Amino acid sequence: MKIQKFKNSARMINAMALGVLFMSVPVIGFASGADYPPRGDFAKGAQTWADNCGRCHNIRAANELRDDQWISTAFHMRMRAGLTGQETRDVLTFLQGSNTSVKVSTTPSSSASVSTLSGKEVYGQTCVACHGANGAGNFPGVPNLTKKSGPLSKKDDALIKNIMGGFQSPGSPMAMPAKGGNPDLNKKDIEKTVEYMRKQFVK
Amino acid sequence: MNLKTKALVSAMGIALSGNVFAATEVEKLRADVEQLKKDVQAAGEWKEPSTIIHMSGYADVGYTSTENANDSFAVGTFAPIFHYQYRDLVMLESELDIKLKDDGSTEVVLEYLTIDLFLNDNIAFVAGKFLSPIGQFRQNLHPSWINKLPSPPPGFGHDGAAPVSEIGMQLRGGFPVGGVRSNYAVYVANGPELITEGDSPGNFELDGIDAEGKNSDIDNKKVFGGRFAILPITSLELGLSAATGKATVTSNEGTEVLGDELARDYDVLGFDFAWQQKGVTVRGEYVKTKVGDATTGVSASEGADWTTMYTQFAYKFLPSKFEAVARYTDFDSVGTSKDQKQWMLGVNYLITNSVIGKIAYEINDGETGAKADDDRLMFQLAYGF
Repeated sequence: MKIQKFKNSARMINAMALGVLFMSVPVIGFASGADYPPRGDFAKGAQTWADNCGRCHNIRAANELRDDQWISTAFHMRMRAGLTGQETRDVLTFLQGSNTSVKVSTTPSSSASVSTLSGKEVYGQTCVACHGANGAGNFPGVPNLTKKSGPLSKKDDALIKNIMGGFQSPGSPMAMPAKGGNPDLNKKDIEKTVEYMRKQFVK
Repeated sequence: MNLKTKALVSAMGIALSGNVFAATEVEKLRADVEQLKKDVQAAGEWKEPSTIIHMSGYADVGYTSTENANDSFAVGTFAPIFHYQYRDLVMLESELDIKLKDDGSTEVVLEYLTIDLFLNDNIAFVAGKFLSPIGQFRQNLHPSWINKLPSPPPGFGHDGAAPVSEIGMQLRGGFPVGGVRSNYAVYVANGPELITEGDSPGNFELDGIDAEGKNSDIDNKKVFGGRFAILPITSLELGLSAATGKATVTSNEGTEVLGDELARDYDVLGFDFAWQQKGVTVRGEYVKTKVGDATTGVSASEGADWTTMYTQFAYKFLPSKFEAVARYTDFDSVGTSKDQKQWMLGVNYLITNSVIGKIAYEINDGETGAKADDDRLMFQLAYGF
């Protein structure tokens, strides 16, 4: 009799647990898939990518996969790394933004572009994610901008060319995408950013 | 030519050169637009459909020289991982573990298969066969291109102290706790089965835990468990895992199927940490599995504990592609022949970010004469794709 009671109570506990899990589906509700996947924050994505991916495995470069492959990979990593949905979208935006597969122009226009951002603003919005607020690099392999023999030892022309077209430093886990992954930047913005970095990081 | 005529001719010249300049720009733009059209057309096939099919995975090959055994080349694992995703709502994930056996035949194991529903930004519902959320190694580190050494730490393999996989349901995700990141997994599952050794009633003793997910629950008693982890700073993750439920002996020495055995208490406790800074990664895990006594049944016997813990240090010699790794593991099993203390030292060369050449030496200290006491030199080439 007691054994039967125990069996019944154990079954009830099991059934209740299963019920709670199943019922949580309609109670919590589905996230909307209308904007698939909604765009995240590029800079936050770079930071999340730098903070999390290297904890378990070597960091993979954005150009190792196509943009659509990064979608499944990012959602797979959401499950593995315990990322939130927002963090997943941020990382995805960063990886896809750094994975520019369509080269829009091979013959840059000679006309001057209008720049509305300061070098500090460009650095703070685009470069800081990987290079860090102090220029020393946010994760292994990112070149140290404060080093005498670092990237800022190059001449302006070479630096601007590298930033405009993208560049991979030796030992870096991934290439810096063209314009740091921000296609809205123009040459004037880059020039001002180089000037800002020299003032800020070259002692 | 008077001054007026000269000015007129000059103006015409400037206008003409301006026109030539403009024409050149227009030609450039036309060329760009044509190229862009071609690129967009070519890229059109990768427009995002509602369903994405994607395959990734890993594989490894190697060579092992074992003390008191023949040296051999070997194919380790080929583990394709399939993803079928419907927008950002649902994902089916599955990994096959395809292995060559010693006799050359092929073994295929369903390592995991889950359907994941992304309920909101903080919760995903997972159903199916999933890697055990106890600790980090089984769920995140076991793929050969991720594991920095050619072998898993003793006790974290397929018949060790740490659970391998479960069949059931799970809620998992991440959320901030007052500015600190955290992640969690809670599950209910069929639970493991137990293995004994012995040749007659009264002479049995527990020998192992078959902790890979089963499609049946012989004792009809589920196992509940989970893991909670926080990242007090971005470079440090601290995790606490636990599971509790019942498990029953179903086989003796892996072959004889027993029936009507008493369900025993089954409890697991685990801690893990991971810290990274620049080229340094330090991580460790502790898992203890405790199985209770059974006073009735053919295999009635005392309970037993399995405990394993490892600490691993890795350093990347940036900007070179070399990495040094050291790991110490202490595994205590019920059978003394499986007890093992192991030092493993290795050097890796990162051919690419996901193709790794490894050379490592295992210094094993186990029962004299047992396999667990044999040192090994291992070479491995692992590819994560």
